Amino acid sequence: MATIVTTPTETGAGQPAAKPTRIYGLLAEFETPGDLMAAAEKCRDAGYRWWDCHTPFPVHGLDGAMGIKRTILPWLVFGAGATGTLVAFLLQAYTNSWNFPMWAGVWVHGYPFLISGKPAMSLPAFIPVMFELTILFSALATVKLMFLFNGLPLLYHPLFTSNRFRRASNDRFFIVIEARDPKFLPKRTEEFLKTLSPVSIETVQD
Amino acid sequence: MGHATTHADLGTSNIQLPAFALGFRNVAIALAVIGLGGGAAIGYTGMFGTDGHHFWRAYMIAFLFALTPCLGGLFFVFVQHLTRAGWSVAVRRPAEALAANLRWVWILFLPFAVLWFMGKANLLWVWADMESLKANNEAEYHIVHAKEAFLNPTFFWIRAAVYFAVWAMLASFYFGGSVRQDASGDISISERMQKWSGPAAILFGLTTTFAAFDWIMSISPAWFSTMFGVYFFCGCATAGFSAMILITVRLRSLGLLKGIVTAEHFQDMGKLLFAFGMVFWAYIGFSQYMLIWYANIPEETGWFLARQLGGWAPVSWALLFGHFVIPFVAVMSKWQKRRTLVLAAAAVWMLCFHYVDLYWLIMPEIPHDIGTFKTYGEISAKYADTPSHFGNPVNFLLAIGALAAVAAGTLGTLSRVSLVPKQDPRLAESIRFENQ
Repeated sequence: MATIVTTPTETGAGQPAAKPTRIYGLLAEFETPGDLMAAAEKCRDAGYRWWDCHTPFPVHGLDGAMGIKRTILPWLVFGAGATGTLVAFLLQAYTNSWNFPMWAGVWVHGYPFLISGKPAMSLPAFIPVMFELTILFSALATVKLMFLFNGLPLLYHPLFTSNRFRRASNDRFFIVIEARDPKFLPKRTEEFLKTLSPVSIETVQD
Repeated sequence: MGHATTHADLGTSNIQLPAFALGFRNVAIALAVIGLGGGAAIGYTGMFGTDGHHFWRAYMIAFLFALTPCLGGLFFVFVQHLTRAGWSVAVRRPAEALAANLRWVWILFLPFAVLWFMGKANLLWVWADMESLKANNEAEYHIVHAKEAFLNPTFFWIRAAVYFAVWAMLASFYFGGSVRQDASGDISISERMQKWSGPAAILFGLTTTFAAFDWIMSISPAWFSTMFGVYFFCGCATAGFSAMILITVRLRSLGLLKGIVTAEHFQDMGKLLFAFGMVFWAYIGFSQYMLIWYANIPEETGWFLARQLGGWAPVSWALLFGHFVIPFVAVMSKWQKRRTLVLAAAAVWMLCFHYVDLYWLIMPEIPHDIGTFKTYGEISAKYADTPSHFGNPVNFLLAIGALAAVAAGTLGTLSRVSLVPKQDPRLAESIRFENQ
């Protein structure tokens, strides 16, 4: 199948380029998940680092084909959960069991209070709150760190300028190699992408 | 997706136990005879200070230690049909084989019938002899007397017969159906098993709950906890998933099920053990404890008080850390669940602590004079040397014997059938399954 190569001037919808623009990267389009997997393995083995795959649905095994490393997110979430446990314990221990004054914006006091004859430091009564705060801290940390690591929220992305790329949410599979990759050279990277036999290759402006 | 082809090897050498497996079965039978026989001999002669109280409790623990993996296997099987799960087909046969033991496991309950005919059932269940209960502990007698419509020998044995009948019926239905499908490949068998999985879940829930009430909770007949059935169910799940993991790991290490059972399946079985054996067990155990601790009603707290006096306090702590905290942290990570050696070690560990859990449920005695003390200090001083007799060999002989009997039954079943439901419509989906 002949590969269609689109240069920036063609995508400009007839408008002459007023000034030289920066290239965001090269977009290669594939028809099937299998083609994408094979191509991703070659990109991985070619040593590219700033590149990504875009698919309309999760493709099993793509992480391995792309050589994506394990995320450190679980460790951070574990830390956040442990922090939640500790905060809940200290909060309850201080407010229910200890009575020294503490500065927290204003001076506050712990307030030991006899409840149904239980000792002031009654761990069983604290556990539900410790459990809940563990869950809360972990869940919030998971979502927030996931956004942070993925660079979200992102309201604009250079790939949105490509008309072909719209099919990434429908029936086509894409690989994009970004210009900031240390191995990126416009001509040579385009030659490399051609060897992966995509349906089309497009240069995307930043 | 059922008709997609796979390249997995479904040849006899890959999905059939080799002949030497029957040698393992004979070892298991020998262990069962030695264990149960040796335990009975110790109980009969009263060696190591074993009295009737201790022996029959130890036997109840051993019986439940053998029963719970089978119930856990049954739970796994019908839940897969209930949810029409695709991933689990490759590992369903070991669970079906475990459940198939429920067809004969009632034989291990027969010694209690003998005990009853000997008129000594009150060694284990004090309510079996209301006269002597009245003479020994009148306060408890009055509470238990009000429960006599439920707790009486006739109804007790009718219920026991119903439990075993229901379990045997469900196990035959699911195991038998799955094996018939191996031969015929008839998809309507799967549909029928799915159709009846809802009623199976209800029957299973009711029978295990009431079996836990009858056999374990009524050992302390004045005490009650509505959560007790769920707690026992957690034990069944712990034992069942551990046994499944061990069987599958062993089959893989024998070079069987190559290309059929993958790290993905181990990870998911690990998730189930993690969720039910560790997290849900701790959740239910704590919920039960906290409500009773908070309300602080004497006839309820007595049960937990007996478990934190003297030698029982370390057992309670060991259970908290051994059944929950340590394994929870150890297999929390996806990567640990995918390592078969780590997962098998976790399964052995959980089986050990499942035994400790049963021991903790059944063995402690509630001091009869518990209501006469004024303070916790007084009672803990008096019962500071409460023994737990954990080291008595009768415990281990009976437990190993009963478990070996079930292991022999499982091996015998597995050697007669293929190790995967080879004609199941979802087998291909299961083999290709990957965790996201």
